[in-house]
Parts: sequence; structure tokens; C-alpha cells
Amino acid sequence: MRRSRGRRLAVSIGKPLAVFVPVFLLGTFFTFLLGHLSGRSPAYIQLGDAATPEAVAAVEHEWGLDRPFGVQYVDWLGDIFRFDLGESWFNGHSVAEVLLDRAVITLSAAGVALVIGVVAGFALGALAARFHATWVDRAVTGFTTTISVLPPFVVGIALVAVFAVSLDLLPAAGYVPIEAGLGPWLSHLILPAIALSFDTVADVARQLRDGLVSTKRENYVTGALVRGLGPRRIFFVHVLRNGVGPALAVLGLKFPALLGGAVVTEAIFGLSGYGVFATQAAIRGDVPAVQGVLVVSVVLVVLFNLVVNVVLNRLAPAAARGV
Amino acid sequence: MTQAPVVTPAAETVAETHPEDVLVLEDVRIHDDLSDTELVHGVSLRLRRGQVVGIVGESGSGKSLTCRAVLGILPELIEVSGGSITLLGRDAATLTRRDWTALRGAAIGAVFQDPASYLNPSITVGKQLQEVLRVRGGLSRKDAHRRAVELFDSVHLRDPEQVYRQYVHELSGGMLQRVLIAIAISLDPDILIADEATTALDATVQAEILDLLAELTERLGLALVLVSHDLAVVAQLCDEVLVLRDGHVVEQGPTARILHDPQEAYTRLLVAEHEQYGLERYLGTTADAVLPTEELNRV
Amino acid sequence: MIKVLLRLPSARIAIGVLLVIAVITLFGPVLAPYDPLQGSDLTLAPPSAQHWLGTDYTGRDVLSRILAGAPLSIVSTLEVAGIALVLGTIPGILSVYLGSIFEWVSLRLIDTLVALPFLVFAVAMTALLGNGITQAMIAVGLLVAPLFYRVARAATLTVAQSQYVEAAVLAGASTGWIVRRHVWAKVLPPIAITLATTLGLGLVVISSLTFLGIGVQPPTPTWGGILASDLDYLPQKAYAPVFPAVIILVTVLAFNMLADAIRDAAGQSGRVLVGARAAKANRARRVAA
Repeated sequence: MRRSRGRRLAVSIGKPLAVFVPVFLLGTFFTFLLGHLSGRSPAYIQLGDAATPEAVAAVEHEWGLDRPFGVQYVDWLGDIFRFDLGESWFNGHSVAEVLLDRAVITLSAAGVALVIGVVAGFALGALAARFHATWVDRAVTGFTTTISVLPPFVVGIALVAVFAVSLDLLPAAGYVPIEAGLGPWLSHLILPAIALSFDTVADVARQLRDGLVSTKRENYVTGALVRGLGPRRIFFVHVLRNGVGPALAVLGLKFPALLGGAVVTEAIFGLSGYGVFATQAAIRGDVPAVQGVLVVSVVLVVLFNLVVNVVLNRLAPAAARGV
Repeated sequence: MTQAPVVTPAAETVAETHPEDVLVLEDVRIHDDLSDTELVHGVSLRLRRGQVVGIVGESGSGKSLTCRAVLGILPELIEVSGGSITLLGRDAATLTRRDWTALRGAAIGAVFQDPASYLNPSITVGKQLQEVLRVRGGLSRKDAHRRAVELFDSVHLRDPEQVYRQYVHELSGGMLQRVLIAIAISLDPDILIADEATTALDATVQAEILDLLAELTERLGLALVLVSHDLAVVAQLCDEVLVLRDGHVVEQGPTARILHDPQEAYTRLLVAEHEQYGLERYLGTTADAVLPTEELNRV
Repeated sequence: MIKVLLRLPSARIAIGVLLVIAVITLFGPVLAPYDPLQGSDLTLAPPSAQHWLGTDYTGRDVLSRILAGAPLSIVSTLEVAGIALVLGTIPGILSVYLGSIFEWVSLRLIDTLVALPFLVFAVAMTALLGNGITQAMIAVGLLVAPLFYRVARAATLTVAQSQYVEAAVLAGASTGWIVRRHVWAKVLPPIAITLATTLGLGLVVISSLTFLGIGVQPPTPTWGGILASDLDYLPQKAYAPVFPAVIILVTVLAFNMLADAIRDAAGQSGRVLVGARAAKANRARRVAA
């Protein structure tokens, strides 16, 4: 009947690990398989289409591509654990090093989008739940439904057209590192982040609203009411804490979309993050570079979800247990 | 128990407040706006300090709704449509939300069936009692903790310090009901409502909780409203009994008279069943255990 | 259920819009007033009697490009949904019946597909596997399949655990018979909802890919591709993206409205609203009396 705090924490990490270790292994395996199935070869990138079969064989031997599939895979997976993502077939640069610079840009945009998603989503969801079944609720629901169907590339272009081109308030393209100041950094990121965040705002708001509305019907809310606690206290301490589970869980699901959306928003806003890098590398057939992006994105998703799970467990042990 | 029961026939509607009356219901009617039907057709009762009144009835007889009306927590779209409820001399109809919040806990407390569901699953039970003592009782964090442990001890929870740190899922039903009782009496209310508070519990635990309620009534001078589908439970503790069926008061009077000289056929049936099968038969009917929440979910 | 569906105003609007889109898809290239690939000297012209939606940066008629781009955008969306339907629904139903090993493996695969950053993988798969529209559809279809898998599995589970199926199993019915006889009826409404949702999502993803120049290369007209070329000339013609964006949005919205309407028609929501209205009327009547 008694369980120690330590064990509770261990379970909160262990259970998601059981889900995400297979995700990591399968995700990276897909990635490797994709490179293999593509039939791309560094030889054509380096030698052109007119290369002789002997020359192609020589280049492929040099890259170790003539070894059996299993050997190449194990070797590749081993390298990943040493943070070695191989070298680009295109220019021989270390993929890990190139990605590190690029990931900062992508993660900055995704991070700001996440903050917008959490703040706006929570505010809207809480507002709709507070005024459940009134015009406020309907207005919020209508708004979130509308923004959830707006694809990021449409929102992105609209934002550029309005705020950058027509009103000339914010820069249309480019990235400034945070060392150059918070203002310039944010001014370059805010539009792409807003474009990315719409879907997250809508989903977080919806889940929070539904979670709060159903929590308000729980007996322990009646219990708190009968104890003479005020409505504000009941909402923040008892309702919010237990009703926040689905909204947090959806945040974990939305993170991949924020990373994936980078492909489009970076193209619109001229950010040289890893999305643009992935597109260019994929079109060039630079397999190690593409694989690098995919592996990094899988790792980021797995890490983010582990964090979400731990937070969820701390905040609402019952919700995390599925009670 | 120490006081002579006051008989209030359902027909009598003249309000005659006695200074000792903490709760007076005059012909209270409850209406469901969704189905447009009246669910409770006039309940009157009068409760003094230290007195115990019982409400007996089957599922859907309106006993839980009556309790909720007294607590000001009727479900949405259900409301008091007639009569009056007077809490400590104040007409409930005139109370604002703020007044209700101030009254609940300090003047009136309640415990329910299925105690586990009435406690927040994400916060330790001790913190939930401490919260009330801090927010409503104005105690400091440290004093509230000390007082909470005292209260847990006073409802005979073994190892109160340990219980303080536990979550709902780590405690048994009987222990949780003691926790809820401790929370309900923490602000020294005048009235305690126990709505099917012993229903889902084992026979021995049920007896212990009833003993505890009896002890608290005497020690703290609480006025207790004991609601149950089980005549045996009510008979043990109550000075006065009110028998409800389909929202009508079938019979009302001193417990001894109701038990030994029931006037109505329905009451005679309840008493006869009770005598025939004894306590065990009632304890076996756990199907009734889901009643109060069912009543709520009708909306 | 279809009768109920057609009574809902939102369903009628959605179906009406989708019929118009269908006509554009079927006859768009024929209806186009100009050659969508032929440029002219009249570049970035505003809308006029000759060019209803204006011209683009090489003087091509925008209306003609949108009409000509419809088949590729819509047909590939349909194919994405079809691929996802097959790849998701069948394993989803079978996961309940084919034993625990298949169930475990398929669940882990679905977990993984859901966790992958969708667009990055779609771009990578399409481009690496040959950068054609077929590759794009297969990649997107595979990545969307989990939606169908989960819905089909959930619906099948409720059916499998119900008593009449148990009775059929005890009576010696084969798995195939049970699926045909009992499972389809329960699985179909949620699948229809998911299909409508997926069509909307598929169009967004296909448009995103063509916007990036993945799967289809310029000058072939696609709705996403038109947006991409408009983006480069925003300073000259800021409102240009409105036309392709509107047609994409209207189509996506119609698919989503259809999904919601099917959900309402299948009777999973909407009753509460009716109940609240009746309650208000009842109360008003009582207070007045």
C-alpha cells in the first residue's frame, strides 16, 4: 500500500522508457533502411552520372557501402551513440557539427512556438472551461477550430505578407543569434513561431477545456466546495491540477509536429535551420545528412516526451497513473 | 440523544424559529428543469444542536437531493422551487455564492458515500485537511499541520502522521471516510450531513464509523443529518426519522414510534423487512451503493 | 445514417463545396482559359477582365494555373487517404484477432510512426526515394496510417468484447465471418470520420510538399507550387497568395466540416445542446406559470 517517492519517480521514468526505447530503435532503423532503399550512392554525387562502374565500386568501398546490410546498420547505430552521424557525401563535412548549428535555429523557433502554444492554449482553454456553455466558450471553440485548420505555410505566408511586407514591422527573413540581443532574436523568430504554433494552441486549448470541464464534474470538486473553499482556489488547486493531464499529453504529441513544421516555416522565413538542410540534402541525395536530421529529430521527440511524462507525474500522479 | 425529539408533521408550514434550531426545512420542493418534473414534493424538518435526524428512502427517493439543497450544491438545472431552508437563522434563498462559501465548512459540513472520490487524487490527504485549516481557519502552515494531525487522531486514525503523507489510492475506504469526517469537522461546524456515509463499507467498518459519528455528535454538540437507505443504520443513531419515497414524506416522527408503531404501509414494509432479514440483508444490497451519484448524473 | 447526415446544414454545405471541387478536378484543365505553362509579357498583373485572378511572375494566368493544378492536388490527396486507409485499417482490425505477437509489433510500429516528425520524414522519404508524386503519396499515406489503425482497432476491440460476438465465436464462426458480419458495422462510422479528416490533412501535406518543390517540380502547376512562386514576389504583389490559399483552405474546411457532420449524424454528440435548450424552455414555462 505504501510507495516511496523514489519508486514513484522511477516508475514515472520507467514506463515511458518502455514505450520510447522501441520508438527510438524503430525510428532509427527506419532511417537507416530509408537510406539503404534509396539506392543513392556517394559515387554519383562525387563523380557525376558518367562514372565508370569501377570508379563507382571504388568510391562505395571507400565509404564502406559494399559491406552486408546488417554490418553497416550495427556500425551506424554504434556511431550514433558516440554522437557521430557520419560525413556528408556532398562535401565531406561532419553531419553532427553542421546539424548542431542548424538545430539551434530550429529549436529556437520550435521553443518559442511551444511557449506560445502553452500560454495561449492554456489561457484559451481555461477561459472556455471557466465560462463553459456560454458565448465565451463558443467563441473560443470557434476560434480554435478555425486556427486548427489553417496550415502553417498559409499562416506563414499571410504573416510575411501582412507584418513584414505590407506593414514592414518585422523582418521577413533571416536569423539573428540570441547573443546579438533578445529583441532582434525574437523579432526574427516570432513570425515563424506563430505560424508553427497555431495547431498547438488549438489542440492544447481544446484538451484543456475538455479536461477541466470533466474534472469540474468530479466528486472531489464537490468535496472541496462543501469544505468551504472559494471558487478560485478550487479552480487552481483542484481542477487545474487534475484536468491538465490531457493538455500536457497533447503537448508531447505536438512536439514532433513543431519540429516537422520547421521544414515549411524555415523555407518561408529564410531560416537556415535543419528543416531547410533536410530538404536540400534530400533533394541532393546526401543520405548521411538526411539520416542525421532524422536521427536528431527522433532523439529530440523521445527526450521531450520523457520530460513531459515526468512533469505529468509530478503534477498529477493520479492522472499519470490513468486513474 | 440527550434531547427530546421534536416532531414536525409535514403538513405544518408555520415557521416558528426556536433559538436552538440550527436547520429548518419548511415544505422544501425541488424541481428538475430538464425533464420539467418535481423531484421532491415538500420536506419539512427541524434540527437542534446535538440532535440527530435520519432520512430513510430508496434510490431516487430524493434524500440526497434534499441534502444537496441544504448544502447549496444542487446539480445544474435542478433547483429549490418552493418552501424554505433556514440555516442558522439565515434564509438559504437569499445567500450569495460568497455567503455559501463562508457558511460551508464553518457552519455546515458533509460526508458522502464513496469517500475516495471526494478527495483530490493528486494531493496527499493531509495537505487537503491542512488546506482547509490554512485557508478557512487562518492557521499558519505549521499550526495547520499540527492541528490536522490532531484531527486525524481524534477520528481514531492510527498513525496520523503517516496518514497525513498518504494519497487517496493508498488508503482503505474506512480510513478515507475518517479522513473526510476529520476534514468536515475541522472548522467546528454546527451541522454535519452524512449522506450514505457508511453504505459502501464493510459491516464492521460501518459500525465503527457510526460509533464515531455518535461520539462526535455528543462531544462537539453537532447536529447530524444521517441519510441512508438502511433503516438499521438510522435506527441506531437517530432521535427522529423521516421516511421518503418518490420525493414524498411518507412518515415522520420519533425513531421509537416509527420503529414500533409505523402508521403507513410503506414504513411497515421497511420495518418488517428489517425485522425479517436483520442487518445482514441490508448490508448485502450493495447495488444501492451507486445511488447518490446516479441521482446527480441524471442531468 | 446518410439520411440523417443530409439533413444537417453543415453537411450540405460541405458536400456542396466538395462537389464544386470535384468538378474543378475533373474538368479544370479543360476549363482553363489560358495555357497554364505559357508565359506572357504581362507579368504580375492585377485581376482584370482578361485575367480574372491576374498573372504571375512570368505572365501566366493564375486562374488557369489553379484550375490546371487541381487534378494533381486533389487526386494525390485522395490517393494518400486511400493508401492510409488500407495500410491503417486492415492491420488495425487484424491486431485484435491475429494474436499477441502481431498486436505488440504493430502497436510499437504505430507508436513510432506517430512520434516521427511528420513533415521531415515525408520530405526525406519522398526526395530520397526518387522525388516523384507517387513516392510522395506512399510516404504520406504510410505516415498518416496510424490514425486509421487506432480508430479501427478501438472500434474492433469494443465489438470483439461484446457478447454477441462471443456468442458467435462459441457457435464456431470463423474470424473472416465475424469481421464481415459484425465488425464492419461498428467500424465504418469512425472510419468515415477519420477518412474525411485525413482528406483535409492529406491536402495540407501534399500542398506543403509541392510548396517545397518536393514530389513535383516546377513548372507543373500545383496549388502548393503556385503559393511558393507567389512568396518570392510578395513585395510586388502582396495579395497574390490569397487565391491559391483560399482554395486550399476552403477544401480543407469542407473536409473537416464533413467529418464533424458525420460525427454528429453518428450520434456521438449534440444531444447535450438540445437538452439544455429544452431545459431553458421548461424553466421559463414554470416561472411564468
